[in-house]
Amino acid sequence: MVELSLKVKENSQKFLKKYVLDEGLCTGCGACVSICPYQVIYRDRTVQLHQCDLQDGNCSAFCPRTPADPAALRKMLFESADLTPEIGAVKGYYFSRAADPELRATAQHGATVTVLLELALSEGLIDSAVVSTRNQEFLQEGVIVNNTEAIRKNTGSKFTVSPTVAAFNRLVTKEAGNVGVVATPCQALALAKMRISKTEEFENKIKQLKLVIGLYCGWTLSVEKYTKLLLDKNITPESIRKMDIPAGKNVLEIFTDDGAKAIPFEEVQACVRDACQYCMDSTAEYADVSVGSARFAGSWEEVRQWNQLIVRTEKGKALVDLAVKKGVLEVRTAPEESLNELKAAAVNKKKNALKNIIRKSGSVKNLLYLDSRDPAVLKYLTKEVFNKKVK
Amino acid sequence: MSKLLSPAKTEVLFMGNEAIARGALEAGVSVVSGYPGTPSSEVIERLSEVARERNLYVEWSTNEKVALEVAAAASFAGLRSMCVMKQNGVNVASDFLLHLSSSGTRGGIVLVECEDPGALSSVNEGESRYFARMLEVPLLEPASFQEAKDLTKWAFELSEKIRNIVILRSVTRMSHASGNVICGKLPEKFRTARFISDGSVMDPLRGPVVSTPVVIKHGLQQKKLQTAAGLFEKSPFNSYTGPKRPELLIITSSACFLYSREAIEMLGLQKRVGILKLSCTWPLPEKLLKKYLRLTDRIMVVEEVLPFLEENIKVAAMGMLKEIGMKTFYGKMDKTLPSAGELNPEIVVAALSKIMKVKPASLPAAYVKEIQKVAPKIPPRAQTFCPGCPHRASFWNINTALKLDGREGIVCGDIGCYAMASLWPEIGFHTVRTLHSMGSGTGLASGFAKLAAFGLDKPIMAVCGDSTFYHAVIPALINAQHNKADITFIVLDNAGTAMTGFQPHPGINESAIGDPLPSIDIAAICRGIGAKVAVSDPFDLEGTGKILTSFMAERGTLKVLILKQACALSPEKKGKKQFQVKVNEELCLGDHCGCNRLCTRIFRCPALTWDREKKKAVVDEVICAGCGVCYSICPQKAITRTEVAQ
Amino acid sequence: MKKTLIDTNLQSKVYRGGKEEATQSYSTIRRGVDDAANKGRRMNANLYKDPTNIIITGVGGQGNVMASRVLAGMLVNAGFIVTIGETFGMSQRGGSVMSHLRVSSSSVLSPQIPQGRADIVIALEPVEALRVLTRYGNPDVAVLTNSRMVYPMGVITGDFTYPSLDEVRTMFEKLAAKSWIIDATSVAVDLGNPVLSNIVMIGALAGTSLLPIDRRAFEKEIAKSIPAGKHQINLTAFDAGAKMI
Repeated sequence: MVELSLKVKENSQKFLKKYVLDEGLCTGCGACVSICPYQVIYRDRTVQLHQCDLQDGNCSAFCPRTPADPAALRKMLFESADLTPEIGAVKGYYFSRAADPELRATAQHGATVTVLLELALSEGLIDSAVVSTRNQEFLQEGVIVNNTEAIRKNTGSKFTVSPTVAAFNRLVTKEAGNVGVVATPCQALALAKMRISKTEEFENKIKQLKLVIGLYCGWTLSVEKYTKLLLDKNITPESIRKMDIPAGKNVLEIFTDDGAKAIPFEEVQACVRDACQYCMDSTAEYADVSVGSARFAGSWEEVRQWNQLIVRTEKGKALVDLAVKKGVLEVRTAPEESLNELKAAAVNKKKNALKNIIRKSGSVKNLLYLDSRDPAVLKYLTKEVFNKKVK
Repeated sequence: MSKLLSPAKTEVLFMGNEAIARGALEAGVSVVSGYPGTPSSEVIERLSEVARERNLYVEWSTNEKVALEVAAAASFAGLRSMCVMKQNGVNVASDFLLHLSSSGTRGGIVLVECEDPGALSSVNEGESRYFARMLEVPLLEPASFQEAKDLTKWAFELSEKIRNIVILRSVTRMSHASGNVICGKLPEKFRTARFISDGSVMDPLRGPVVSTPVVIKHGLQQKKLQTAAGLFEKSPFNSYTGPKRPELLIITSSACFLYSREAIEMLGLQKRVGILKLSCTWPLPEKLLKKYLRLTDRIMVVEEVLPFLEENIKVAAMGMLKEIGMKTFYGKMDKTLPSAGELNPEIVVAALSKIMKVKPASLPAAYVKEIQKVAPKIPPRAQTFCPGCPHRASFWNINTALKLDGREGIVCGDIGCYAMASLWPEIGFHTVRTLHSMGSGTGLASGFAKLAAFGLDKPIMAVCGDSTFYHAVIPALINAQHNKADITFIVLDNAGTAMTGFQPHPGINESAIGDPLPSIDIAAICRGIGAKVAVSDPFDLEGTGKILTSFMAERGTLKVLILKQACALSPEKKGKKQFQVKVNEELCLGDHCGCNRLCTRIFRCPALTWDREKKKAVVDEVICAGCGVCYSICPQKAITRTEVAQ
Repeated sequence: MKKTLIDTNLQSKVYRGGKEEATQSYSTIRRGVDDAANKGRRMNANLYKDPTNIIITGVGGQGNVMASRVLAGMLVNAGFIVTIGETFGMSQRGGSVMSHLRVSSSSVLSPQIPQGRADIVIALEPVEALRVLTRYGNPDVAVLTNSRMVYPMGVITGDFTYPSLDEVRTMFEKLAAKSWIIDATSVAVDLGNPVLSNIVMIGALAGTSLLPIDRRAFEKEIAKSIPAGKHQINLTAFDAGAKMI
């Protein structure tokens, strides 16, 4: 760990190449992109175009897959009493959905993200928001929006990674004012690292970041593998309107112009981006609020219309409270077993990630970008994880 | 009036190539053809300037083989003609040269080939004198500027005398050096062309021009060579200077004669060492050789590139062993002289002082010490693409596309200024991986593209210049298309043969002497063979990048991208800026994270310099060509450009 | 000037000037005023050293070749035998360029000046002067350089450092008997074209009196080699240079 930190000092870009890109750890979040001319995102790959010889560059400082000081991050963002080892800070845990059924119909699930963003905008908490969109070629791109219409156009899960942080870097100018970002766990972590390692050039920009709405995330798909799979199934990326993974069905449902299609889940899983198997965060622990699809007993049509909502910060709490008060968001207290289920799933993801990391590094002493002294890591370095060390 | 047309008996300063051109004029040459190549190009350039006045047909041909054919036709029709090329060109022309030397010629015809020992402006140290021996034709090598003129004129006469082509070999230090030349008379009458071919196949002047019956004609060809040897025996162009009984005999030719003579003087060996200067080097004048080989037991052969003279002299000496006795030879073969690289007076001094056991004068030790102190403080000056060079932008685009593609594609290079991207990788962003003869990049790419089945599944690219395209790329491109080679082929079309001085080529709508000609469209040729073709401006980084990445993603076919932008030194652009370019110091991030000097560290345009005190980029107004490409790469938009009213 | 007619054993009849030639005996090509073949040669001036070895150096594109041609032309007009050695082509592209001029009253010399044998170094760029001095310099050499620096790419990228003008001056003091550093480029820029700095340098060279060249010789040479429309500006540049010494 100490050695790694020293290496970051040597040459940030080379460090990224050796320990993140070449190791298959890059999440494609875009934190190292659009802050300088040296890295770009092409399709969903981070590409280093030219060599930079700086020793303490923002690229490696912002990257969610370089060593960080998680304790400092948590201390900066959360109240220590709220922290849980499984899913990070929790001020409140709910099921939620938009009060407006029409809005729900257009959204992935309960349209909680849309409601919160729109409210933050209309209340002036933020002036614009960075969300992800999808282009013709199935490539994700971050965009900046500042009105309801634009937000609603970009709803829905895409399942491939979006270089949202690159969009934040590129699009958030002084004129953008205060900004909210809809982020996956790795993106939320990158944004958190930006706050802590702010540099002269970056200080003003990161001060504009006022809200991070996290998205639950189990994995994302590699564009290359996934487009190939779609082509094999005779699905043209352009025709896709909506995708979902319905509970308990073990398929990916794809709604296209020509109707719905289902792809067996194991085939989809083969397309998962390498980096995702080394990720310990499934609930976007570094966000103000985190939103995912609800899981509870009931018909899928009913369940589909709800979200899970974790409120993590004071700022997040204030926004949710306001949404409820304004009647735009319906909130139910989630049952304890739901939270336990979520925690169990999160722990499972953490353990799997650690197993995969140890398998990759070949040694329990080398946890790649993670620090075994971090209690949130140490807790899951169990015997069961250890034993998977060497296959 | 052109200096080339100076009146007889006037003394002028001529470059070696100008002296050759003047010699051809004095010989009454009518047709001159060639392909540009350093150090040969000025022969034709200067002649094209006087073509109208001297009733010449001057042509920059598509390649050297065609050029020699064009010149040969004139010879067949009784005119005097000359074909000019650099050393590599002889290889291109050699197939026809073999047949031409067998069929024989009529009007005097001279092949001028300029070699580049030390590869000062080449990617090889090609030696072409062996062609004279292999193809059995006479070879002449001028050793001074006056002789470059005189020997050229004489070469035409020799060719006409033996009815075969004569090769005149120059080198960079002769072609590109200058010296005093006294002009001779220019002929007042011009010949008319007449081609008679209805006579017997054995009639050298009236029959069909063919190399058959082969064995008989081959025998005749060898007789011609013997005639030449006879003339060489008595030629004043071969001469001995030195004592009657030298301790060492230097046999040398070309610029090496000047080096040898200077070396003898520097060591004060005038009374101990003699020089036999041969300007007629194949076939060797054996009687002359015998006469001088008898003078001493020790012989040093001083010549550049390969030991051509040395080998031939040794073989000849073996044949006359009884008369001349045993000799000790010094030269390239025993490593007395370096076997590669060009020579100079010091190298000959070093060899001579070793053989003659004398010490060359040296600088005072204190001075040498000062030199040793200063030398490390002098920053090296590597070659680079000029300010405003389209190649910099083109390679920027190609490099970006390769990196985005991510499959470590292979780029094959070719001959032109853009070859520097393979010679000094950092100036072309480490993009080009192979470099061989003209057109070879495309042929290699065609081959690489077929290696996927053996596990080399990478995007393959080739680059070539516009002149190179016509010269030798077309067959390779047809090969690629026909054999379904999946390559992205890029033409770096900078509107002229830029490296050698903007000679026109088939894509340019004018001739060597400025007459209008139809231009042959590269895109149309490529479309004609069925390739997918796009044309873009390399200065448009975004547009060009999109085409390139889409081409690379498209598998299984030949794709052609023509990047059109004139060379920054081209006559139409030189001294004219399209944009006034400035750096806004407020915005420039300098070496801070977020830029880290992209323009001065990576883009490497010499006109963008780095102000060490201010830590900002600065545009050097004096050398900036105003292309404005740096505006597009600056991440801060700190580089501004404003269009200059033309 | 004595001329002899030489039979070349084919149609050619070659006129030989009253100077050494390869076709004549070695005894006639010794250097110096007593050279038998050159006895009749009329020079309208004398060299302070015979032969005089001059190196004109700079960076590709600075007008090095043009400067060497003009200077050589002036000397040929004065009756001297001049050999110029230079390279161009790809080596010109942003790299160091060098012309070797060898001025003699009697002899054709090698187009390459031997190491340590330069008499005069004229540099359009300061470190190029130093580069030449370290190879061709000797305790008697005189150097005239333009002060305008053209940074090599390695200096721009930061891999190498460029000595300050004061350092350059100190190095000249150690390596040359005489030295002049002038800002020819600024003068040329004021005249409207930085490329004129080569002519400013030629003017300055005339000002040093190291060579038998003057304004009249310059005027005579450019009348032959430069288009009429550019005569005045070149003369102005020459004069400006001559005044700088």
